[in-house]
Amino acid sequence: MPETRRVAITGLGAVSSVGIGADAFASAIREGRNGTSEITSFDASGFPFRMAGEVRDFAPRDILRRADPDRWGRSGQLAAAASRLALEDSGLDPEEVSRGRSGVIMGTTSGEATVSSVLGEQWVSGRMKEFSPRVVAQAPASQISAAVSTELALGGDTQTIPTACSASNYALGHAYDLVRTGEADLMFAGGADAVNRFTHAGFHALGALAPDVCRPFDRDRAGIITGEGGVSLLLEPLEAAVARGARVYAEVLGYGVNCDARHMVHPDPESIAACIRDAHASAGITPEQVDYVCAHGTGTPTNDATEVQAVREVFGERVPPISSIKSMIGHTMGAASGFGAVVCCKALHDGFLPPTANLTEVDPELGPGLDVVPGRGRDASPRIVQNHGFAFGGNNVITILGRPE
Amino acid sequence: MTAVTTEPDATTRLPAAVPLAITSVGVVSAAGLGLDALGEALASGGRGHAVPVGEDADQYPQVGVRSVEGFRLRDHVGRKGTRNLDRLTGFGLVSAKFALEAAPQGGDPDRTGVVVTTSTGSTQSLVDLAGDTLLQERPYLVNPSRFPNTVLNCCAGQIAIWNGLRGANVTLAAGQCSGLNSFRHARMVLGLGRADRLVVGGVEELSAPLAWGWHASGTLAGGTAIGEGGAAFVVSTSEAARAGGAGIAAEVLGVEVGFHPASRGNRAGAVARHVERALARSGVSADEVTEVSPGSTGLVGLERAERRGIAMALGRVPEVRDVTRAVGQCYSAAGAMQVAGLLAAWRGQPSGRRRLALVTAVGHDGNVGALVLREGGGDA
Repeated sequence: MPETRRVAITGLGAVSSVGIGADAFASAIREGRNGTSEITSFDASGFPFRMAGEVRDFAPRDILRRADPDRWGRSGQLAAAASRLALEDSGLDPEEVSRGRSGVIMGTTSGEATVSSVLGEQWVSGRMKEFSPRVVAQAPASQISAAVSTELALGGDTQTIPTACSASNYALGHAYDLVRTGEADLMFAGGADAVNRFTHAGFHALGALAPDVCRPFDRDRAGIITGEGGVSLLLEPLEAAVARGARVYAEVLGYGVNCDARHMVHPDPESIAACIRDAHASAGITPEQVDYVCAHGTGTPTNDATEVQAVREVFGERVPPISSIKSMIGHTMGAASGFGAVVCCKALHDGFLPPTANLTEVDPELGPGLDVVPGRGRDASPRIVQNHGFAFGGNNVITILGRPE
Repeated sequence: MTAVTTEPDATTRLPAAVPLAITSVGVVSAAGLGLDALGEALASGGRGHAVPVGEDADQYPQVGVRSVEGFRLRDHVGRKGTRNLDRLTGFGLVSAKFALEAAPQGGDPDRTGVVVTTSTGSTQSLVDLAGDTLLQERPYLVNPSRFPNTVLNCCAGQIAIWNGLRGANVTLAAGQCSGLNSFRHARMVLGLGRADRLVVGGVEELSAPLAWGWHASGTLAGGTAIGEGGAAFVVSTSEAARAGGAGIAAEVLGVEVGFHPASRGNRAGAVARHVERALARSGVSADEVTEVSPGSTGLVGLERAERRGIAMALGRVPEVRDVTRAVGQCYSAAGAMQVAGLLAAWRGQPSGRRRLALVTAVGHDGNVGALVLREGGGDA
């Protein structure tokens, strides 16, 4: 294995349904605030379940400086805005960042789904001659990371990772690899997805939507709430961060990645347990060292049972506190594990455990002694945290973050 | 802070690239099934199948195509479990099957992963979903067995399921440069020991709606055909391949990718810089390059800039091996087709010396990159 260097997270950006900016996002999460409500971004009147976590007050022009919002789809706008916020948060000189070997890896589930929705609607109504070159150019998933590199004038690796709902965790892991091997000087990593009719219809058809709110780990949990957002984390060598006196939120200690290779939509506890072990080995830690697990926690009966089973298999008697921020912002798809990573950074830096909102009673079927941090965040001093992301296609990715020593 | 002030073209600071070995290849293209069919089309200057296929063939706009004729997934993998799979995933499954069958057997499935490039996933599946949710009496009456087809990692997930591959499973999108990015990505995964072996490939599927999208885009030069298909490669580090006694079809040496949108000007210069960096990290000189496979053939405003960039970096334009006449412009699968085309041509026309090819790509979005491919791999 090549010689590698330590990697720090020094900038956070979030464009979420509970707040824009990492501080606004994290403080809302810490309070247990719910960001979901009736859908307004498309006509959802024909759907029996109409709740989503939409980012209502996102005004791209207020945040973006270089990228023209008219040229990008909503996912690209969200990714670019989150990355601009992460750069501002880092205190780095934007000119220096664009001069270096800097790049971006952005995860997504549905790519530019609001763009696909426009084109799809034109197609099925026989109006293909109305396809606009501007809109067609926005459609490839690659445009999500291209929007970021355009906004920040980055010249390095520019990849979108459409590995669905673990995508931003993989983006974070791959960006970490690029920085630690010296292939990049610094990287932005995160994800973006937009609430849209297609995704909402698809999850409804799978029977995965909750009627009102998302209740992870609850006895009465009924499913997910579709969500959206953009999230970005800035990674740089720890040594460089310390030398410039940067605020270091966390050190990336390692990550695990594997694939169930069994079923497109059903999670597999053994495979998830193997992924957790892989992540621990990569980070050089043992289960006893993990102080908190930021769960995938979608709030479907199957996911939460499978996830807890896998966690118990690895952690045995002592299961760390485990909570789901999807209870507040819904399932933000390709951005979900990125939001998890941001809240983990804040938890390590500010000293708290993020909560699971909307909890009435922990499902007894999940076994005894499960601490899901119900209601509001809890003051604590976690040193090492574990962030879960699982996805369609059996794509599991788990990142391990630590408080810098 | 020294790290962020490093100039992007400071090639001297970059370490040599760990060579990757392509031990086998599988391809499905307008030239037909398999590498030999592609090689024959390239040798004869053939065009591949040049009329639209499928139920929507009569709805295409006036645009040239290279389509895969008579493709039926069940002919290759059996009928069971294929009913809900789309054409794009079919191309992925069959190209991966061809590649895995030709690869050395006995690889550990827990340590074998997948890297697949895509653009939007299956356009046809998206359009089917649009029809279900917009035209049916109720907007939620979509087929739950087909919805996962619209999620962009469907093809990579299915390749893992059908072949029991439990290693890192990656789907990647970088537009016209996706193929180059996939090999750079593979090097990171393999070089850090996150997997021992990867199936690396690209897939694209034609449909009338996609053809209308290309048509509307205004990015195709007159006479340029759009293409479809899949190409997949079984890849490990060259060191591991040699230790395992595997035959090596070619080695991927330096791969450099970056982002340089039109607004920054001098696109040719950006191509040249990536070529120079890729050569430097490969430890080879410009004179050693015997041929080049450019990726942006037939794309407005890019083809000339790409070739000018190659000439700037090499001092000449060596023999051009273009696959687009045979397989069409395959966008996110173009890079995989470029590499497959070189392998096909080399296999069809053996040479006494190890050839060294440059594979380049540049996209309207700003993606740019260069890859160095060396024939064979018997001796280090």
